[in-house]
Amino acid sequence: MPGEALTETSFLPAAVFLLPLLAGVIVISATRTHRALQQWISVLTMALVTGLGTWMAYRILRGFVLTTWHRELRVDALSALMVVIIGGIGLLASVYSARYIEERVTEGPAARRTSTFYGLLLWFLGTMLWGCVTNNVIMLYVAIEATTLTSGLLVAFYWDRRALEAGYKYLMLLTIGITFALFGCVLLYAGAAATNKLDGGSALLISDIRHVVPFIPSGTAAITIAFLVIGFGTKAGIAPFHPWLPDAHAEAPTPISVLLSGVMIKMSLYALARTVSIFYPAWPQVTIFLVALGTFTMLLGIILALTQNDLKRLLAYSSVSQMGYVLVGIGLGTYLGCYGGLFHLLNHALCKSLLFMCVGAVMYATGARRISELGGLRSQMPIASACYFVGALALAGFPPLNGFWSKLTIYLALAKAGLWWAAGIAILASILTMVVMVRAGYKVFWGNQPSGAASLGFREVPARMYVPMMILAVISVLVGIFPQAPYPLLDRAAGVLATLGR
Amino acid sequence: MNPEGLHTGLIETLSLSLVITSVAAVEMRRLKFSIVAYLCQALLIVGLLLSFASVNKALYWWAATAFVTKVVLTPWFLFRAIRGVDDRETKPVIGFGPSAVIVALLMMGFFRLTHSGAALLSPTGMGQLGVFRTNLAVASTVFALGLYTVLTRRDAIKAVIGLCLLENGVHLSLVSLAPGLPETALFGVATEVVVTVFLLLYVIGGVRQVFGSTDTFRLRELRW
Repeated sequence: MPGEALTETSFLPAAVFLLPLLAGVIVISATRTHRALQQWISVLTMALVTGLGTWMAYRILRGFVLTTWHRELRVDALSALMVVIIGGIGLLASVYSARYIEERVTEGPAARRTSTFYGLLLWFLGTMLWGCVTNNVIMLYVAIEATTLTSGLLVAFYWDRRALEAGYKYLMLLTIGITFALFGCVLLYAGAAATNKLDGGSALLISDIRHVVPFIPSGTAAITIAFLVIGFGTKAGIAPFHPWLPDAHAEAPTPISVLLSGVMIKMSLYALARTVSIFYPAWPQVTIFLVALGTFTMLLGIILALTQNDLKRLLAYSSVSQMGYVLVGIGLGTYLGCYGGLFHLLNHALCKSLLFMCVGAVMYATGARRISELGGLRSQMPIASACYFVGALALAGFPPLNGFWSKLTIYLALAKAGLWWAAGIAILASILTMVVMVRAGYKVFWGNQPSGAASLGFREVPARMYVPMMILAVISVLVGIFPQAPYPLLDRAAGVLATLGR
Repeated sequence: MNPEGLHTGLIETLSLSLVITSVAAVEMRRLKFSIVAYLCQALLIVGLLLSFASVNKALYWWAATAFVTKVVLTPWFLFRAIRGVDDRETKPVIGFGPSAVIVALLMMGFFRLTHSGAALLSPTGMGQLGVFRTNLAVASTVFALGLYTVLTRRDAIKAVIGLCLLENGVHLSLVSLAPGLPETALFGVATEVVVTVFLLLYVIGGVRQVFGSTDTFRLRELRW
């Protein structure tokens, strides 16, 4: 448990986010360098970050908590889990982006801006990592708003009608949403400071605030929780605050979609969980509210996904739905629920990144992304086809893939808490996910080539694109066969969030 | 900190003028005048922060940051965005008459609500004092007016002005809610708003190039 852990002062929490930020400065200012150099810098930086994240996770499993700068930065098991996920997916997305950007961004206004692309990509990853390692509640808001700012231009990167519309909505809606989170964070700080049990500086530190939360007046606590849920929930794609998500995730370049759906929304849910979970022991009724919000999200997301013809929008709506599962798990506040929620967060990061990469591969090879314009790609793109079905089945919770175990844990946690209605809705949404994902995959890879479509000369994508896909697919299968592999880290991370005990 | 030393009269006057500038920024149809109203509001905020700073030295930093970001940079970006184009706002969804009524109702509603419910928002004893209650009430009113602007205005630049009002509201509330906030946090919060405004105006510049106007009703490629 976190209270018993030994504190170790270490430079690692600072290094893990300063490294990509500095590399980003170098890449963005060196506009005349060769594109390959920019790509190598981002890949190497992210490899290093993943390595540092793994090393931090190792130290934490040995019973330490890492801190820097008078506990301004603090890495426990939950932070380490997020750092490893962001680092790993960021690394694979950087590798994947190399050929994708070369092919897709050779003409038009975007062609000369690859240094901007890689610079912003690194800053985007750096700010996400910063949000995961900070212990300061105001800086948590600053970091999350910074992820919006760094990714805003990436969403609008193609600079055409659709991309500009998505970019405008993304920046506008998320800034308004996240302003509520600022109110929430400030109220949390003000409430903690007003208890007079902490001195001025430590009332900002989340690890200290959690000890005085029971003394915050209930009216203030209710407003704080509402603002935090609206603010961070908007960014995490929780319904009904999700309308920005399908636009941004669908119109961004695919490597950015991978990061938006794969890690960014999770990082915001992490912020939500980190701040709201400290209220569970004193106000357990919050958990019912979060579970209800989560079930609504999972159902609405998958129903909207059913109606989509555009593959990327379909995946984006499915992300909304899956975030509902994570919220339900974490929102329960019990150990089993938090374990399931975090396990699903990890699995969804793997599967959704994989699926976005597969759809990106289809777009790369055919130039089309509407289901009605595609068909029969199985023989031409066997690797993408196989990877897609691994991702789709895992996402739908088909045994023995990884998604099955995390969803099963969430169902069990709901049943154990006596919330049978929520368990029923979760299972229903899971069946609908299966229908949506498999139907889309069947039409694109197995169905008949639509008449009037382009020639049949499509080929499998280059190795630098399919290798990241294969890595993700293999990890998904391995985690499915050995679900105990991530147990040590997930167990400790769930212990941080499970404030309602086992 | 000794709240006795505050110039209550001055603070009340500045606070009420601040609400008036918000209404002007919302209702002016020429974007140029709207930005000028916003600029006046920013100056009033700096004045307000300085008058609170007599009892809380940290607010001098806050005032300096607010001057650079709100008085200098934000209006400069906004003026640059409307340079050389027709600065008449795209006709909003709600006409002038009904809009004025809604704004008046919002003002009265939010002011009264926050003034009476200040205890919920600011659990410190200080938050109960008259000046701080007024400050919170003004902050929430400006916030509500900003949100109203963003939601009902068709012109993207007007929506950005609304966003600035909304942020001003939040920043004003920090005076009462979080008087002990360290400078780094304040600096981060203030800088981010400027960067947001810059990026939004940059994207809106692209929208104007590609769509031919800043009317957000034309952004309708992406549905469902």
